[in-house]
Amino acid sequence: MSVRAEQLQRAAWTRASAPQTIGLVGIALGFLALWLALPPFGVRTAPAPVAVGILAAAAGIWAISRGKVRVGGGAIVIGLVGIAGALLAMRASSSNLEGVFVWSALLAATLRFATPLTFAAIGGMFSERSGVVNIGLEGMMLMGAFFGAYGADQTGSWVGGIFIGMLSGALLALVHAIFTISLRADQIVTGTAINFLALGVTGYLYNQHYGNNGTPNNLPAIPDVNIKFLSHIPPHGLGNFLYNSIGQLNLMVWLSLLLLPVSYVVMFKTPVGLRIRSVGEHPRAADTLGISVYRTRYGAVILSGALAALGGVFLSIGFLNSFTENLTAGRGFIALAALIFGGWRPFGAFAAALLFGFSSALALRLPDLSASSSAAWPVLFQTLPYVLTLIAVAGVIGRSIPPAAIGRPYIKQ
Amino acid sequence: MVDEAPVLELRGITKRFPGVVANDHVDFDLRRGEVHALLGENGAGKSTLVNVLYGLYHPDEGSILVKGEPIRLHSPKDAIKHGIGMVHQHFMLIPVMTVAENIVLATEPTQGGVLLDYRAANKRVAELSSSFNFAIDPGARVESISVGQQQRVEILKALYRHADILILDEPTAVLTPQEARELFAILKTLTSQGMSVIFITHKLNEVLELADRITVLRRGNRIDTVDRQGATEQGLARMMVGRDVLLRVDKGAPSVAEPLLSIDDLHVIDERGLEAVRGVSFEVRSGEIVGLAGVDGNGQSELIDAISGLQRVSSGTVKLGGRDVTGVNPSSILDLGLGHIPEDRQLRGLVLEFSLAENLALHDFDKPPDSRWGWLFPRQLVRRARDLLKRYDVRGGGPQTRAAALSGGNQQKVVLAREIGRGPSVLIAAQPTRGLDVGAIEFVHRQLVEARDNGKAVLLVSLELDEILSLSDRVLVVYEGRIVAEHGPDVGEEQLGIEMTGGGREVAA
Ligand SMILES: Nc1ncnc2c1ncn2[C@@H]1O[C@H](COP(=O)(O)OP(=O)(O)O)[C@@H](O)[C@H]1O
Ligand SMILES: [Mg+2]
Repeated sequence: MSVRAEQLQRAAWTRASAPQTIGLVGIALGFLALWLALPPFGVRTAPAPVAVGILAAAAGIWAISRGKVRVGGGAIVIGLVGIAGALLAMRASSSNLEGVFVWSALLAATLRFATPLTFAAIGGMFSERSGVVNIGLEGMMLMGAFFGAYGADQTGSWVGGIFIGMLSGALLALVHAIFTISLRADQIVTGTAINFLALGVTGYLYNQHYGNNGTPNNLPAIPDVNIKFLSHIPPHGLGNFLYNSIGQLNLMVWLSLLLLPVSYVVMFKTPVGLRIRSVGEHPRAADTLGISVYRTRYGAVILSGALAALGGVFLSIGFLNSFTENLTAGRGFIALAALIFGGWRPFGAFAAALLFGFSSALALRLPDLSASSSAAWPVLFQTLPYVLTLIAVAGVIGRSIPPAAIGRPYIKQ
Repeated sequence: MVDEAPVLELRGITKRFPGVVANDHVDFDLRRGEVHALLGENGAGKSTLVNVLYGLYHPDEGSILVKGEPIRLHSPKDAIKHGIGMVHQHFMLIPVMTVAENIVLATEPTQGGVLLDYRAANKRVAELSSSFNFAIDPGARVESISVGQQQRVEILKALYRHADILILDEPTAVLTPQEARELFAILKTLTSQGMSVIFITHKLNEVLELADRITVLRRGNRIDTVDRQGATEQGLARMMVGRDVLLRVDKGAPSVAEPLLSIDDLHVIDERGLEAVRGVSFEVRSGEIVGLAGVDGNGQSELIDAISGLQRVSSGTVKLGGRDVTGVNPSSILDLGLGHIPEDRQLRGLVLEFSLAENLALHDFDKPPDSRWGWLFPRQLVRRARDLLKRYDVRGGGPQTRAAALSGGNQQKVVLAREIGRGPSVLIAAQPTRGLDVGAIEFVHRQLVEARDNGKAVLLVSLELDEILSLSDRVLVVYEGRIVAEHGPDVGEEQLGIEMTGGGREVAA
């Protein structure tokens, strides 16, 4: 046996480790190729970025030849995209480039775009780790967005908005729980129905209450956190960068960052988390030890609805200060994707949310690059987050392993 | 040592499922410090009875007494509270979690009532495990440890909860002979410390080796409870099956002719990139059964897959009836006269969701008379199925029954019917009786001997030494991908056991 173990280890290293590392270096080089052409470097001639991009692709080819198809492929694609991006960037004027790539503003926007996704993805994590697929995140977010605005309007306070918003998400999640856990309906179908239900309910109530003029302009908003002293940190450039990127973020952004370690600890360092995961991996095993599978799943799904709703609340009264029909526009699905790419882990999901956030922020600004852009350009740029995601997922991350019992209703003996 | 007052008593337990009475007024009692075996064929109701005892099923009638007190069990939680622990037939372990996490789940030690105290959990599990000489790493993931160790984790789960009654449901079904022997030693230690054990099995030799008393179930009824002293395999088998059973295989001398399967210097790389078969050469001749003995995972599966064309051969040759079939695709190899009874009948032997008629046609459905011009003739499938099911005595369903609905023994008969029914010249039987009960084992063994007597070359791969020894005309021992020894039919079990674990290698090489 020991002979085999040794052999296995050696084989594992020579087969996997070195090419994997080289492939990852290739991916980094691909990004570097693009970055060279952007501020603050702003290289204006082709040779440097092209050389770096080709190096990236070469590393990718080598990795593929050693069996690391996924990472290698990622390096090739990112290397080529890097070259193309760099060449495109060179065609834009320097001043336009500097107008678009204001890194502090991009960072702030990235965090802002990532926040609703983070809330919803973490919510989804609780539900899915307990074994219940939650495609209804979108609907739960939408409920939170509407009832957050409505609650803030009615109570006259953003705190009221947060609570009423969370409550509405939790209630919708309860419906999901009843159908999927007690009645054992198909989780995908139920989740889809939940989304349509939310669309209908919020659409109806919105038209009923605010149909003519939209939500009032003086909706109580969740405040920004102004961290003034950041701008005084020497040197001046750094202080300014810090203040402009994280000095004026919304309270909810900070809350979402706080939620990351908290949810990590709950899921992986407490008995509650262990039980949630056990129910999602092997419900019968949990049952034979006296854990109530149903109660655990109900709790996890309801919590997931409340958290997803928080993401919606942020959208309506933390970000846009208004509600319109279908405000979430698919962000719940993107959160679900972030959750999956992140391997059903808080920080993994956050990393994926940041990627989405960054590309959304970029997509919003890219049309400014060229003065002559047609009206169709911004629409095309909207696809950037999804394209980047596809590359990241297919190229680098690979398959993440879901909880073993996900999607399967539990039938007690 | 054995105290006469029962720690546990079941009175008149009846449990009905739609269409079956799984337990029919079963009485059972367990004394302190004894191993009480529950013996019966598959489907006799053994698991049902202990599931009732563990609070998983609620009995329709009857009562349960622990230390003389009647108790009600609403859930496993109640059973645990009364000191009952159970190792399930299919392990209740979470593969991606650590040993310690699996053991402490639902009774976790905490820090300040909030955080799970991993340090304390690991420490307590390590102490518990070393007090039984288990040598299990509390931090190892369950999926990374052997099946034998997983079973110990299950036992630790019960001990951690202070169980003094331990139920083991067919614990040896998944173990190698060595692991089974170690398990018996563990159980003897536990009973000497006052633990009472209910041990479920359908293997007679185990019962006679381990049990103090034996209760036999048949079709949900308790047939009798007997002491081990005075019990015989023959007598127990009769109680189990309800008729006389042939335990020793009855076979005449082989009449061996030309080689039908020849393997020459075969090398196979497995999916992890390791060399699983490292230069194996042997022949199987017409009219003989060659047994391949070895501990699981020493290259047997890869060897069989290479012969049947399911896995790529990296070098060496496989000849079937003198013809080189190395690298030929599996269905052509089957057509050239190979029959293959795969080791996992549910995964590879049958398509569980298909009907028996479809399962029996899996090799021939694409040729006349089953089909013509891409058109399948279901009536032809049914006709053949009816004939085969009768010849191979498959019970519990007709041609249209789903394969999943049959018992294990009858499923295996369907596989035999398909593989032997085609009249192959070479038959590979991989663990053909795994998980089967005495009656079905007898049937399978008779079929294999009959195939040999009809002039087929039979290669038997089995983890059960008993089976190898009672059927084989020659025995090969495989260890780490090599044939390390060859013996005649009368080699001792001890000798094989040593060679299978690498002990006899120097001598053989
Ligand atoms: N959950 C169940 N639903 C319906 N029938 C069952 C169930 N569990 C067991 N049975 C039936 O009860 C009988 C006894 O099964 P079981 O107790 O598993 O037998 P054993 O463990 O002795 O092999 C079998 O006929 C089986 O099909
Ligand atoms: Mg059973």
